[in-house]
Amino acid sequence: MSTSTFKNRCVTLVCCKFCDSLLCTRGMKAVLLSDTKVELFSTDIPPHSTVDFVASCYCTESCKCRLKDIACLKCGNVVGYHVVAPCKPCLLSCNNGHFWMFHSDSVSAVNRLDPSGLNLLLWGDLPETESSEDEGTGDLSEEEYIR
Amino acid sequence: MLLFNKMAANPENRVLCYSVFKWSSYSSTYLPENILVDKPNDQSSRWSSESNYPPQYLILKLERPAIVQSITFGKYEKTHVCNLKKFKVFGGMSEENMTELLSSGLKNDYNKETFTLKHRIDEQMFPCRFIKIVPLMSWGPSFNFSIWYIELHGIDEPDVVQPCLNWYSKYREQEAIRLCLKHFRQHNYTEAFESLQKKTKIALEHPMLTDLHDKLVLKGDFDACEELIDKAVHADGLFNQYISQQEYKPRWSQIIPKSNKGDGDDNRPGMRGGHQMVIDVQTETVYLFGGWDGTQDLADFWAYSVQENQWICISRDTEKENGPSARSCHKMCIDSQRRQIYTLGRYLDSSVRNSKSLKSDFYRYDIDTNTWMLLSEDTSADGGPKLVFDHQMCMDSEKHMIYTFGGRILTCNGNVDDSRTSDPQFSGLYAYHCHSNTWKLLREDSCNAGPEDVQSRIGHCMLFHTKNRCLYVFGGQRSKTYLNDFFSYDVDNDHVEIISDGTKKDSGMVPMTGFTQRATIDPELNEIHVLSGLSKDKDKREENVRNSFWIYDIARNSWSCVYKNDQSVKENPSKTLQEEEPCPRFAHQLVYDELHKVHYLFGGNPGKSCSPKMRLDDFWSLKLCRPSKEYLLRHCKYLIRKYRFEEKAQTEPLSALKYLQNDLSLTVDHSDPEETKEFQLLASALFKSSSDFIPLGFSDVDQTYAQRTQLFDTLVNFFPDSMTPPKGNLVDLITL
Repeated sequence: MSTSTFKNRCVTLVCCKFCDSLLCTRGMKAVLLSDTKVELFSTDIPPHSTVDFVASCYCTESCKCRLKDIACLKCGNVVGYHVVAPCKPCLLSCNNGHFWMFHSDSVSAVNRLDPSGLNLLLWGDLPETESSEDEGTGDLSEEEYIR
Repeated sequence: MLLFNKMAANPENRVLCYSVFKWSSYSSTYLPENILVDKPNDQSSRWSSESNYPPQYLILKLERPAIVQSITFGKYEKTHVCNLKKFKVFGGMSEENMTELLSSGLKNDYNKETFTLKHRIDEQMFPCRFIKIVPLMSWGPSFNFSIWYIELHGIDEPDVVQPCLNWYSKYREQEAIRLCLKHFRQHNYTEAFESLQKKTKIALEHPMLTDLHDKLVLKGDFDACEELIDKAVHADGLFNQYISQQEYKPRWSQIIPKSNKGDGDDNRPGMRGGHQMVIDVQTETVYLFGGWDGTQDLADFWAYSVQENQWICISRDTEKENGPSARSCHKMCIDSQRRQIYTLGRYLDSSVRNSKSLKSDFYRYDIDTNTWMLLSEDTSADGGPKLVFDHQMCMDSEKHMIYTFGGRILTCNGNVDDSRTSDPQFSGLYAYHCHSNTWKLLREDSCNAGPEDVQSRIGHCMLFHTKNRCLYVFGGQRSKTYLNDFFSYDVDNDHVEIISDGTKKDSGMVPMTGFTQRATIDPELNEIHVLSGLSKDKDKREENVRNSFWIYDIARNSWSCVYKNDQSVKENPSKTLQEEEPCPRFAHQLVYDELHKVHYLFGGNPGKSCSPKMRLDDFWSLKLCRPSKEYLLRHCKYLIRKYRFEEKAQTEPLSALKYLQNDLSLTVDHSDPEETKEFQLLASALFKSSSDFIPLGFSDVDQTYAQRTQLFDTLVNFFPDSMTPPKGNLVDLITL
């Protein structure tokens, strides 16, 4: 779901700073909406085989988005977080539509090159993917099990 | 005159030096040697396995043999998913020969943790040279195992360790000799046996068992054997240890009540889930009220007399008799002393929540006068809980109090379509003083982790222990989170005691959450019984899980699984085989008669996705049985006589047949289908020309001697280990 402003951004490889394992091949350098001083890397596709969730959901002081930390599967260190449920203000403002973030102090990033090997690979060049999965699945009534 | 007892100074327990000897794997820079150094603020100062596929381990070699008394695990300064949630520690003098010293887990925090290691056999300390740490599970199941820092403490002073080493050496030699003695005797190497025994003066077994061997194997005096065992069981109680180690066997039996009059289906409660049952142990009466039949709430009230095996309908509609309106997911408790039943709470689905009153009415039924009384129109207005469902309620007859905890509070919906409404609210812990009809809030729902804080929930189990006067609470759910904790609340001292915070858990060793548990308590045996049924997780239901029954020993703080039935259920309605046990279900009721040690189960929801409105109306009783002394004695006699028959069959078939029909038949329980079947097959021994079964490892021995030896080995298993020969066999140590 890239808007025009993000098409010119570089695609980066994101690696875990602690153990150097590859976390993601579709990273984008971005800033936090609720605090633009904070830089991070975001991605659109859930990096399932390289990271996994740790701990439980929480909210930050800067906004009401519900987050859950993710950690590198190789070394277990927290490398970022996933936005489980964005808050309305963030959703309405100009955003790149990515829900998976990596802290810039936990990862190292390298810009990717396009197939020719001469130019930087840009987000506009990446094939479109499906938007991130619906978070509200399986919201069955818990009351089903009591009678 | 004073006698001086010169006691040796207490040997010093200190840090033991070790090196990392072997490792299963490591990843990246997380080398095994890192565990020698304690740097909590360095995330790289740890060993990390390459994956979490077993086997993963670290083997440490001590600088010199020592008695290793404790192990300390260091941690990282923050919680970390690679911390070991579950691990084992082994130790021994050699790598190949190690014993388990500890099975435990770490908390996922930043504090060092120290554990005592097994370092004694009976009262004797034993030394180790190698320590093996085996991670089994990390806090993040998909993450690798990490160990940050290890410290071993113990005694390595040669003055202390050397005698232990000597003892250990001697102990091994002794066991080796006993194995040899056993082998010689099994193979009838009489001279070798006697010679070894004379030289070493080591006893193979208790004299009573030597006598049994003599009578059984050498003399074939079977009558004397039976007498010996009879005396061992009755006079000396020697089978008690064996019995206490046996697992309970569940005996379910479906109750088909007597029908009265003949008016068809009206003589017993119809199908339902979300009903409530209580049992009056004094009169052996089970009371059942309300529930949901798949379409609507019910208001019928029943009593089942165990003695009469009959249901009586006390009321078709309690609302018409000043009692509660039709309801489900309420909670009932009984005051057996005063013969009164209380009911609180109910469930209203979202469609009626806005129209019906959300007042929490509270009723009491008096058994002797058969009258209902409204104690409160709304307990919330009286300082008590709001209208809740899926809560728990317990009666304290002694002090005439009622305790209720948890449940979800029913509120009017603002916007029914908005699935992300306000977070569900859970009700706290309340006490009701019956005499003054007053409520008191004891604990509010709290997510803090303070020692007296209590987290509310639904679907949990709560039981009142009438002897130690504590409420026991475990399991349950808060929205999507399953709770694993277990705590007790001392009602007299207003004190919460955490039995298990749900983190240090050995999966498979405690009843799993999310499986619609029903629990009962036996204050006399000091046990809690838990029946786990259907999983709330629809995916898990496809796995054909059946009931599992657990017992929690309160004094020993340990769970044991009585049975876990994993057989697949055939969805065949015209099944000819009788169901041995009730199908797993939820929304059922389980009550326990602690006097007669029987559980009763009624109805529920079988969770059939193809017919969601279907409910059950089956009624079961459950008895937990352990073999009795009489049963074991009869079993031993059966084994002896069976063997005697087989021996006779080879030489005197006619006499053997007579023996089979008389003496052997006496030891068989002919009402038990399995035993009868086995008995009937025995006759075929009469037609075999010679036994074609040579016990493995006895090829050089006379067949009779070999078979009698086998029988002897079977019989000694019922005796305490301290009396028996070693369990192993010399030949089993030989590998290809």
